[in-house]
Amino acid sequence: MTSAETRPPVPVDASRTTLASAGQATFDMALRMGGLFAAIIVVAAVIFILKPSSFNVDVAISVLRAMSSVAIMSLGLTLVIVVGEIDLSFGAMYGLGANVLAVLWLVAGFSVYSSLVLAIVAGAVLGLFNGVLVTRLKIPSFIVTLGSYNLLYGVSLWITHTSTFNPAYPPPGAVVPDAQLNFFTGLTASFGQHPISSEVLWMIGLAIAVGLLLHRSLFGFRLMAIGGNPIAANLARLPVARYKVIAFMLCGVLAAIAGILDFSFIQTVQPNSGLSFTFPVFAAVIIGGASLSGGKGTIIGTVGGALLLAELQQGLALLSPGPHVQQLFLGFVTIGAVALDLAVTKLRARRAA
Amino acid sequence: MTVGAPVATAVGTVSVRGLKKRYGSTIALAGIDLDLVPGEIIGIAGPNGAGKSTFVRIIAGEEPADEGTITMGGKPWSPLANWNSVAVVHQEPQLFPNLTVAENMLAGREGTSARRPRLGESDRALMDALQIGHLADVPLANCSLATQQRTEIARALARDARIFLFDEPNSALTHEESNKLFLEMRKIADAGRIVILVTHRLSDFVENCRRVAVVRDGTVRSILEGAALTEDGVAQQLVTGSVKEETAGDRHLTGEGDEIFRVRNWSHATEFNNVEFALAKGEIVALMGVEGSGARELLRSFAGLERCTGDAVLDGKTGDFFLRVATAYVPATRQLSLYSNFSVGENLVARLGRPEIAGPLLELRKQRMKEIAESAVSRFLVKTRNLVQGIRALSGGNQQKVAIAQALVCEPHLILLEEPTRGVDVQSKREIYRLLHDFARAGNAAVIFCTEVLEVFEAADRVVVISDGRLSRSLRIRDYDQVEKLATDVSQLERHARQPAAA
Repeated sequence: MTSAETRPPVPVDASRTTLASAGQATFDMALRMGGLFAAIIVVAAVIFILKPSSFNVDVAISVLRAMSSVAIMSLGLTLVIVVGEIDLSFGAMYGLGANVLAVLWLVAGFSVYSSLVLAIVAGAVLGLFNGVLVTRLKIPSFIVTLGSYNLLYGVSLWITHTSTFNPAYPPPGAVVPDAQLNFFTGLTASFGQHPISSEVLWMIGLAIAVGLLLHRSLFGFRLMAIGGNPIAANLARLPVARYKVIAFMLCGVLAAIAGILDFSFIQTVQPNSGLSFTFPVFAAVIIGGASLSGGKGTIIGTVGGALLLAELQQGLALLSPGPHVQQLFLGFVTIGAVALDLAVTKLRARRAA
Repeated sequence: MTVGAPVATAVGTVSVRGLKKRYGSTIALAGIDLDLVPGEIIGIAGPNGAGKSTFVRIIAGEEPADEGTITMGGKPWSPLANWNSVAVVHQEPQLFPNLTVAENMLAGREGTSARRPRLGESDRALMDALQIGHLADVPLANCSLATQQRTEIARALARDARIFLFDEPNSALTHEESNKLFLEMRKIADAGRIVILVTHRLSDFVENCRRVAVVRDGTVRSILEGAALTEDGVAQQLVTGSVKEETAGDRHLTGEGDEIFRVRNWSHATEFNNVEFALAKGEIVALMGVEGSGARELLRSFAGLERCTGDAVLDGKTGDFFLRVATAYVPATRQLSLYSNFSVGENLVARLGRPEIAGPLLELRKQRMKEIAESAVSRFLVKTRNLVQGIRALSGGNQQKVAIAQALVCEPHLILLEEPTRGVDVQSKREIYRLLHDFARAGNAAVIFCTEVLEVFEAADRVVVISDGRLSRSLRIRDYDQVEKLATDVSQLERHARQPAAA
């Protein structure tokens, strides 16, 4: 290190002055992630002990498949929450993405390819709409996206004439070429000895991409800065409005992708598809350690949160103690994760003082 | 009933003896001795960080003292237990803007009845005496600042507060509003209550107070009254006996070097008009002015943060855009420039972008970030255990250094700082002045907005006083070998600048 030699005497212990050394922030994050993944393992162990017969690879794979769309949506929501905003509309966007694809392809006579692209573009347009209203008109994002949630659901009802679509059984008069149908179902085709849907691969790929974006790019760095102190970011002339709009757009696009992938896997879509995902996705992001006040959140945490939720859901379904238990657990885990977070922070602050 | 009616309970003299308070290793109050006598307006003056606001907070019952006694009429008295008898009138009234004036009067005194509370006779009389009776049903948010302050006063009178603390009460009022406010203050004092005035405007002390206590380094340095109570007298007491820095030969520039920055016909919608201002390379210029004088806005306008018309030339280039990229602005409080969710290292590079810390694909260059942060830590003398430590773990002075370093690593040509050493210990203060000095002498320039003459004396080459948007002639600091003389001249400039407005 040549710079160290030319440096004037410094009041810091230079050997410890390194971003790589285990500092408090890194340690906190490791603790948080350690706790989350310990919880995932504990839940798995409990299910195994209570019902060893049901514990096999196929169940594990079905958990992964079940979490995929929730995880993909929570990636986008993490970006929006990190920048200090809220998005309530992604669940409706999930439905609209799938419905736009279905209507364009099965009713309007577009090819599956262009329908797919346009469905994703619809997600971007929604994000642009949300983002511009939030940053230009300064309407709180909670209100904007609550509104667009209803708008999107309305559009879904409208363009589908409240009907359900299945490309294998197209509406009368529509022709679906085999190649296109195969392409569409192929998006989430299963493979391997224990069949695993490629939707899981989409999830992993997108998680890596968004993870790099949030944790390894200037975009993510500034997203964190803006979420941490929007006024400072503004005074430092960071592109606050533009980055917020982009975060909303990515959230919309990811929701549309999740909707399309689930449509491909399940093969049917209804106007109200996705609406019920709103709260589980929020729960996944919160359990993953993101802070609703902005500036804090990780992709690995969010994916872990989605995994924990899917595991609980699947495990409780297997143990079948009744439908109420799943809901009770979802509630406890969400509040518990945040309560634990705050307790640890408080404890640390007290010890530091 | 008028405001001037005698108070129900007689107020004894409040005697403060040996009041001490520390925050961590910082001593805020080192033993304050002061008598607050009913019937008089007592002024409290002091530079930032002298303990003035800590004293005010303790008297207001907002926090406890560590040591010392307070007695009222000879009996022990605790502001914490008797918060009800102390009223603080803030610069920004702390009321309920969504309620009407009348509802504000009642909030907190609803009693135990389940019915919606209503104004009593005495409340109405009070409001009429303060000339806000006709505004009873107007939402407070629609009222002027002066009315809001009167509402705050009325609330305090209604609960029979005995001590009134006015904390910079007129900084945002017009001349006339401010005169009326002082009239009310005198009435409150004449009724046998204790009135304390804290302000930066020396003329207000002289015109309204019987005594002025000057607080320095956590103690009452002197009490001025009678013939000694003049603006110059207070100004000198505020700085006299300060530890003077050894001035090196080149420490203060003459301001006759090459010009680096100039504005002409520089006008703001509300704060100033046709300002002419120029800076030489290497210069540090201080702008002084009380709240509302336009000094802050002028500084911010140089960073392109206020919309202004006119010509601005920096390094021979013009245009708002250029101003925004070639200047860096450091706001007055660290909360406005630091990111609490970031580590020290991340904070240091937070203002940078491509290509400094990111490659063509926006990928972060972590190694570069680390190098820049490391060199900033050593160049700017930030005392930190490591770069990954959270920013809040640093002391206030070191946080302030990070806030300034964050701007300096962008390599601006002109740096604009508001009160760069507010709430900072002496050692850090000195280091921050050195940083600015080194930065400016490297062919750049700095403008700082100051509220303290001492800061001007130690940090700047030139000072310009601003009153009502008008700039005074500038004083060269090198012409002064004593801060007292500078303080006198600055207060005179301020007075002169004010005169045309009063006429």
